[in-house]
Amino acid sequence: MNPLELTLGIMTAVGGFVDISQLVFSAQAGSRFGFALIAAFAISTIGIIVFGEMCGRVAAVARQPVFSLMRHRLGLKLGLFTLAVSLASTLITCAAEIGGLGMILNHLTGAPYLPMCIASTLLLMASMWILPFKWIERTYGLLGLFMIVFVVALVAIHPPWAKIAGGFVPQVPHGLSTKELLSYSYFIVAIFSAVMFPYEAYFYSSGGIEEEWGPKDLLTNRVTSVVGMGLGSLLSIAILALGALLFAPALVAPEVPGSAALETAIPLGKAGLLFALLGMFFAVAGAAVETCMANAYSISQFFGWEWGRHKKPWEAPRFTVAWIAAMLLALLIVMTGVQVMNLVDYAVVSSIVVLPLSYLPLMLLANDKSYMGQYANKWLAKGLGWLFFVIVTVTAIAAVPLYLLTSGGAA
Amino acid sequence: MRSLGQVKIVSQLLDLQIIDKDERSCGVVDDIELGGSPGKEMRVEALLVGPGAYEGRMPAWLFWLTRKIAGDRMARVPVDQITEIGSVVKLKSKAEELGLHEVEDKVRAWIPREGAI
Repeated sequence: MNPLELTLGIMTAVGGFVDISQLVFSAQAGSRFGFALIAAFAISTIGIIVFGEMCGRVAAVARQPVFSLMRHRLGLKLGLFTLAVSLASTLITCAAEIGGLGMILNHLTGAPYLPMCIASTLLLMASMWILPFKWIERTYGLLGLFMIVFVVALVAIHPPWAKIAGGFVPQVPHGLSTKELLSYSYFIVAIFSAVMFPYEAYFYSSGGIEEEWGPKDLLTNRVTSVVGMGLGSLLSIAILALGALLFAPALVAPEVPGSAALETAIPLGKAGLLFALLGMFFAVAGAAVETCMANAYSISQFFGWEWGRHKKPWEAPRFTVAWIAAMLLALLIVMTGVQVMNLVDYAVVSSIVVLPLSYLPLMLLANDKSYMGQYANKWLAKGLGWLFFVIVTVTAIAAVPLYLLTSGGAA
Repeated sequence: MRSLGQVKIVSQLLDLQIIDKDERSCGVVDDIELGGSPGKEMRVEALLVGPGAYEGRMPAWLFWLTRKIAGDRMARVPVDQITEIGSVVKLKSKAEELGLHEVEDKVRAWIPREGAI
């Protein structure tokens, strides 16, 4: 197995886990609730590994992307509904990523926010036009690894490892008021949503087809989903732990994405800050590319258009128009002046609401022996699949009331 | 490959991806044209592809909206063009010969052919 093949999983994970929502919620979770929410990251990581692996396996065995098979399974009407809600939630997520890029560039250069949003959108579109799929995933996946500076910073401050390990046990911190308990619950919902964004599944399975996966690549699929998602989770937990150790005692509330970068500046100085901002820029840029492409993949696969960025842009013309339109629409949302933090909240709430609708057909496909033959889900994948389906359904039902009751976790 | 006689028409064919002889995506089976008459054998005559084929498959208001956005074009693919039915429908001709790439080709004309590696 070529180590470079791992970049698909790494990009999906670094650009999926450590997107703008993750940066915000990891640092805030640590500063407000200590290590208690590590368990939410750990459990949802197992969830995205289970679904990611299933997605890759379906793509490799059926050699058809998930949205094509989903339309066949759900039919036109329910399929169109799933497509519409998934496009809307992914578009909002893409807008949140572009806003995040504007903020990070604003921190890095001091230039105004909105021009930086426009500049980063043009930069991403240029890279998507010029580079074929393999180089897109490698560029953003590997440059996003600057984020490892957060793990280095955590090790550098000699953290209480036993207490961090204790965070892996699901718990409710003592002494929370009713309002704080509701906020804690909202954070659990937001973390599950940000870790298990539906666009990750669409991007990952389409990426497998772009890379021409077949049944011989099932081991690669398994390794990339575990290593990639595991790495993303490790980075998020490092950001959370740094927030708990550095921000909480100083009563700092990391309200904007840039605050997370300060976690590295404390132990590692200017170099740490620079590495963190660069890592954040490339990870969030990867997420923006993923969300934009996930929308173009979904719509193209649903209607049976030519698709894929292993082809030249003019060889898949409607797919090309779709990703350009998705990116420009997301920029337009940012240009209306809506706050990045509001976009992040809308992204996690809308994504968790559509999550069960995206994952149920996928699981049914992976269970179906007529599509999957000997590679259909066995007892472990079936059991975990249904368990996480129940978890995400409960989370989806709770999401909107919790968002309203806590004003997006602020209460 | 399954023969057409074994196919459960609606569940097997509807909403399946279509691939032409060059392995290019060229639409989805949006509806099916059946032939025959009461008391006689029903046969699949053609696959219908394009938003015009949605009419009987969605509420009137949604079809009206779809027609406003995507038009009502519809291509007819005779059943003898099918070579295989599996996780996709494979055709023996090129998409262009069956009128399945008209929009793709129109849009292609607007895409600059420069700059991509």
